Amino acid sequence: MKIKLELYGASRDFSNQDHIEFNIKNPISIKEFKNLILEFIEKKFKGNENYKKIVKGSAFCSEDDTIISDNYKITKDQRIGIIPPIGGG
Amino acid sequence: MLHTKILDSAIAKIEIAKAEKFISSSKFGASIFFIGTVRDFNEDKKVTGITYDSHDALVIKSFEEIYNEADDKLKIKDKAVFIEHIKGYVKLGEISIIIAVGCKHRDQAYVLSRYIIEEIKKRTPIWKKEHYENETSEWLKGKSLVNEKN
Repeated sequence: MKIKLELYGASRDFSNQDHIEFNIKNPISIKEFKNLILEFIEKKFKGNENYKKIVKGSAFCSEDDTIISDNYKITKDQRIGIIPPIGGG
Repeated sequence: MLHTKILDSAIAKIEIAKAEKFISSSKFGASIFFIGTVRDFNEDKKVTGITYDSHDALVIKSFEEIYNEADDKLKIKDKAVFIEHIKGYVKLGEISIIIAVGCKHRDQAYVLSRYIIEEIKKRTPIWKKEHYENETSEWLKGKSLVNEKN
């Protein structure tokens, strides 16, 4: 199962592309997916604390542009958006 | 009556005249224009510009929600609202957001305009990366949406 994590705001610093792809074997919740992203940060950025903080403070949104809860289950290939703390206007 | 749009700064600029035209009506006795621009200093750092990032679909959705809430919370039924936000790089002094409202009375217009900008700040997924005179840049710390939706 492939999850395409779309990057926004400060999370854009996680990659040169506008997304990161994760290959997952089994369905996972957003809470578990967040831990996978933290593992990615740990490996790729030597546990950069600022990046981890961004992930921990982020909400996530589904393909139909709805903010989803930690309990939301990802069961198939899909796009998930990471929504770091916001501050426009 | 609502108009919303995200404009890519590489292609277009926010035009006050378009907002003026949209909210213009003899039904409305009061108009307020809120215009946000890039200012020169933030936390003692000289700012040269801001890059705005946006989740376009969620942004438009939140503008619509805020507009609809005004019916219930503020009881302002007759109104025209024009909201445009920029994404991409914006230079010092340039416009990043416009909120134009037309209402029957001035107290409604002031309340509605203030309500919209404060709600955008609280919940609309737009991010700012400030660029400084020394050629460094930094994403600004914002407000987490985690506790609100989970």
